Amino acid sequence: MTKIADNVNPDVYDKGSEREVTTNERNEDIVDEFDQREVFDLIRNINDPEHPLTLEELRVVEEKNILVDNDKNVVNVYFTPTIPHCSMATLIGLSIRVQLLRALPSRFKVTVEVSEGTHVSEHAVNKQLADKERVAAALENNNLVQIINQCVVNS
Amino acid sequence: MEPIWFKPDLAEQIIKTDDLFDQTQSIVTDIVSGRLDLTCLTENMAGTLTNKDAECRERGMKFFTKILKEIPKDYLSEMQIKFISKFYVDRLKDNHRVIPSVLEGYLAIVDMRNYNVQYSGEYFTILFREVACQSQVRQDRYNIYLTIQKILDMDVQYTQSLGPDFVYGFISSMDGERDPRNLLYLFNFLPKFLNKVPLGHLVEEMFEVISCYYPIDFHPSPNDPAAVSRNELAAALCPCLCAVPEFAEHCLLLLIEKLDSSLRVAKIDSLMLLAESCKTFKPQSYGPFLKALWSSIQREISHKTDEEIKLAAHEALSALVAKLSTAADTDQSFENLIKGILISMQTAVAEASTVVQFVQVTKTLLTAANASKQSCEIITKSMIPAVIAYYEFKTSPKLQIASLDFLGDLYDMADHWAVVELIEKQVDEIPQLCLNAVSVPSKEYQLAGFKTLIRVMRALKTDLVLPFVEILMYNVQHSLDDELLGVSVQTIHAISRKYPELMMSLVVQGKCDINNLTADKTALQKRLNLLSNLASIDDFTKIIIEEMLKAITTNDEDASKVVQALNTSISNTSLYSEDKVAQIESDHGLIESILAWLLKEIKTSTQDSLDNGCTLISNTISSLPVEKQLKVLSRHTNEILGQWKIDDTYFQVLECLYRSVNQGVYNAHFEELLSLALNLSLNSESAVVRLKACYMVAHFLNKVDSGQKFELLYEILKNYLSSCGREDEDFCPRLINLYGWITKALVLRGSDLFQFWLNKIVIAISNPECSKAASESIRTIMTDTSNCLSSRQHCRSSLLYKQRMFQAFTNMSEKIGPPGPDKEAYYLSWAYVLEKTPKTVLNNEISKIVPLAIDALEYDNKDLLTVMIDLLIHFVQGKNAIVTDSLQTILPRMINLTTYTKSMDVRIKSLQCIYELANGCPTRALLPHKQCTLLALAPALDDRKRLARHAAVRARTRWFLVGAPGEDKQD
Repeated sequence: MTKIADNVNPDVYDKGSEREVTTNERNEDIVDEFDQREVFDLIRNINDPEHPLTLEELRVVEEKNILVDNDKNVVNVYFTPTIPHCSMATLIGLSIRVQLLRALPSRFKVTVEVSEGTHVSEHAVNKQLADKERVAAALENNNLVQIINQCVVNS
Repeated sequence: MEPIWFKPDLAEQIIKTDDLFDQTQSIVTDIVSGRLDLTCLTENMAGTLTNKDAECRERGMKFFTKILKEIPKDYLSEMQIKFISKFYVDRLKDNHRVIPSVLEGYLAIVDMRNYNVQYSGEYFTILFREVACQSQVRQDRYNIYLTIQKILDMDVQYTQSLGPDFVYGFISSMDGERDPRNLLYLFNFLPKFLNKVPLGHLVEEMFEVISCYYPIDFHPSPNDPAAVSRNELAAALCPCLCAVPEFAEHCLLLLIEKLDSSLRVAKIDSLMLLAESCKTFKPQSYGPFLKALWSSIQREISHKTDEEIKLAAHEALSALVAKLSTAADTDQSFENLIKGILISMQTAVAEASTVVQFVQVTKTLLTAANASKQSCEIITKSMIPAVIAYYEFKTSPKLQIASLDFLGDLYDMADHWAVVELIEKQVDEIPQLCLNAVSVPSKEYQLAGFKTLIRVMRALKTDLVLPFVEILMYNVQHSLDDELLGVSVQTIHAISRKYPELMMSLVVQGKCDINNLTADKTALQKRLNLLSNLASIDDFTKIIIEEMLKAITTNDEDASKVVQALNTSISNTSLYSEDKVAQIESDHGLIESILAWLLKEIKTSTQDSLDNGCTLISNTISSLPVEKQLKVLSRHTNEILGQWKIDDTYFQVLECLYRSVNQGVYNAHFEELLSLALNLSLNSESAVVRLKACYMVAHFLNKVDSGQKFELLYEILKNYLSSCGREDEDFCPRLINLYGWITKALVLRGSDLFQFWLNKIVIAISNPECSKAASESIRTIMTDTSNCLSSRQHCRSSLLYKQRMFQAFTNMSEKIGPPGPDKEAYYLSWAYVLEKTPKTVLNNEISKIVPLAIDALEYDNKDLLTVMIDLLIHFVQGKNAIVTDSLQTILPRMINLTTYTKSMDVRIKSLQCIYELANGCPTRALLPHKQCTLLALAPALDDRKRLARHAAVRARTRWFLVGAPGEDKQD
């Protein structure tokens, strides 16, 4: 690729620690509900398309920007592009969406959106990500699938 | 008839036929026996040696060389050698065809005992003038180098006296050498040559010839059976480039240039060369290059991904600093270098925003500090205050914790180089910082603070002890976290070693209130644990142990807690050495008190506290010398033997006395005790007593001396078992259980008798009535238990006993064959054996084990499934073809198990196996199953347990990638 990355020198943050296994989680009789942290763990290790860094290290996704409602079967993920004119925002959103489609049970209705006020074309990106048919069409494009697969390979 | 070599026709024969070349050995024999004179032989050969035709001369020289090579090395006289040598030197001027034999022949002459090194000067002069070394074939070039090496080995002084012409000759003869084997030889020889022969004005020429190979870029031909590798050549070239101090300037220029190259091998070679060069070059030579060197090293050291380069850079830095520090007193450059390092690293530390960056910088600093005493002093002196300041203004918890670790490292370094006194002022600040850290009510901070404090304990001043003790004692009494609790106890232990008197009043008598030990019931157990830990310090032993024993003998309620605390601490061999335990026993009569307590409590107390008491006694006995063990046994055995008849629980006490005696300890009671133990192991109504009885049988069989005593006990065992038949349904499982222990004792002993007992167990597996007990016995044999047949009990433990069990079990079960319809116990026994057998052994038996494991997946038994899935995962990871072949069977069974309701471990492991299958099998085999696997894994995503869901996500996302664009896999 001859194109130079949009954000050549992004801020890099520490990785959080792995989730600790509690005794409740070892106990066969207790049901563990889905929570923010679990959904966050699903997407924190997605690679950024431009850098050899994860979305967590770039703080594109954060635990506090995830909403999980177990009873209503709703998962909302808000992500924050590193700069407001990032051309990769749609691709990042698509990667998060694909990863959640593959990794969450089908009962959940998943919404992936750009955090409010963090991107110049916020509404356009949100609209694209919410459009099922456009997502499905994108996933039939082999080049795109390849890039997305490379992004989600470590998560 | 006389052989041909006695006649002048010899010359003609040599030219005509090859036969004579095979008979040289007989000629040599004739010469040595004195029948043939060498002069005579030479005369007979004259026709060929002086023939006009070059081809004939070649044959003649070849023949003569062959004789020279075969003649004994000490046969020829000095005079003879002198003439032959002269002749050979003369031949160097001959036709090129003759030269190879001349070189070979001269090599043989040089080896002779009476060879005078003085002849070689002439040889080399003519050689370098007449023969162009690089136009010869490989072997001849090698012969030339070898001759030079031999002469050098023979007489260094003479070689030196040959002067620059000789050196020049050598340089020009190796200039342009391109055969890897010859090069390897030359590189190995050159450092020796360079060290012994002064180069004079030829330094630059010599360096040019060597350095043209640097960095080595060489790929051996794939057909070469004994290929020379690039790394061998590179490793050999490195010492040549820095063999003598005169090379310094050229060498450093070269390596700085190559450090800047973009080639990875060039960088690694240069860094290694730099490290190597520090062995020979003078510190002053580095002066002008230090700036360039440090900037290159710094660049490589902060490399993000390449560990090898990083390591090489660290080594180079360490060598460089160590070298320069040797001239620290006379030369400014050392200080400049260290200051340069400090300035750039301090900036890097301040800029570090992640732990990874921080650790990288600190590693560099530690490498530089670890190189020499001087550097350690300068770096620790300036870095300790810097890091303390850094701690204050970086508020990220991870960075603060990392900087605490770093302070500990710096202190260790200063301690290692014994410069702590010089930086006392700086070091004194560290404990205060630790106190700040542990005052934060967070586990991570406290752990890091205490751990660093333990490392810098010597810098702790008395005024800080009290605040630390407050926090520590709070942790000890209230913390629910095991790790924090452990570290707190360790810290108190460490402080106590430094300030025994202070801690005695603060902790032992203050907080723990030793004199009213059991008055305060809250957190009693935790305080007891702390005290029994502290009792291992000599200053505290007497007071604490006495109070504890007093509590055991007088206080009924809490005695069991005291025993438990003592048991936990004394079992920890890193706290209590054997000598210490033996000393406590002799000073305070530990066993006596515990035994009295046990006998008093045996009826009323719980099994756990009984076990604690028993383990404490047996561990104490284990630490005593043999005579004392015997004394204890003889004092107590009779008394307890009388009591067991009333109640067989007393047997437990008896067992713990005998459990840990040394090998070969034997007294008159052994035979009686064995019969008793056998009887109880089969007939006692209490399961615990039966188990302890089995322990005793096993220990006796394992530890008794070979020979008569062993035979005697074994005889008692067999007689008892053959006469004890009883017909009820309890009896059979008990008997098989006992067989298990006997087998284990014998196999650990390394005795072949175990096969007899194992066979009985294997037969029992096919018997539906006792198959369960049989598989339990197999588990007993394969599993290590801490209080039976372990080294703590001084038991024999033969090497590789698990492999022997595996072999024996495989053979026997093959002979007997799988049992009838219900095979669960059969597979379970297999599972127990396979679980503990080393994987390397199993790898040789894949074709047997994999089908077994696949069949076993059908049975609803948690233990069985866990072991078998684990095994399959191991084989899948090993990418064995047999797994791919049975993919059709494995996959559906595994998918079935992902919804196994009884155990989440089975679910998790099966999902893990499905994940590994996607990694380990070739894509073409996986693709047909992709869609149905993805569908079948969907329910597991909504598992009730989070851990299982995690495994499901891993497996499912991996399967999505199978054969998809972007998958990173080579089949």
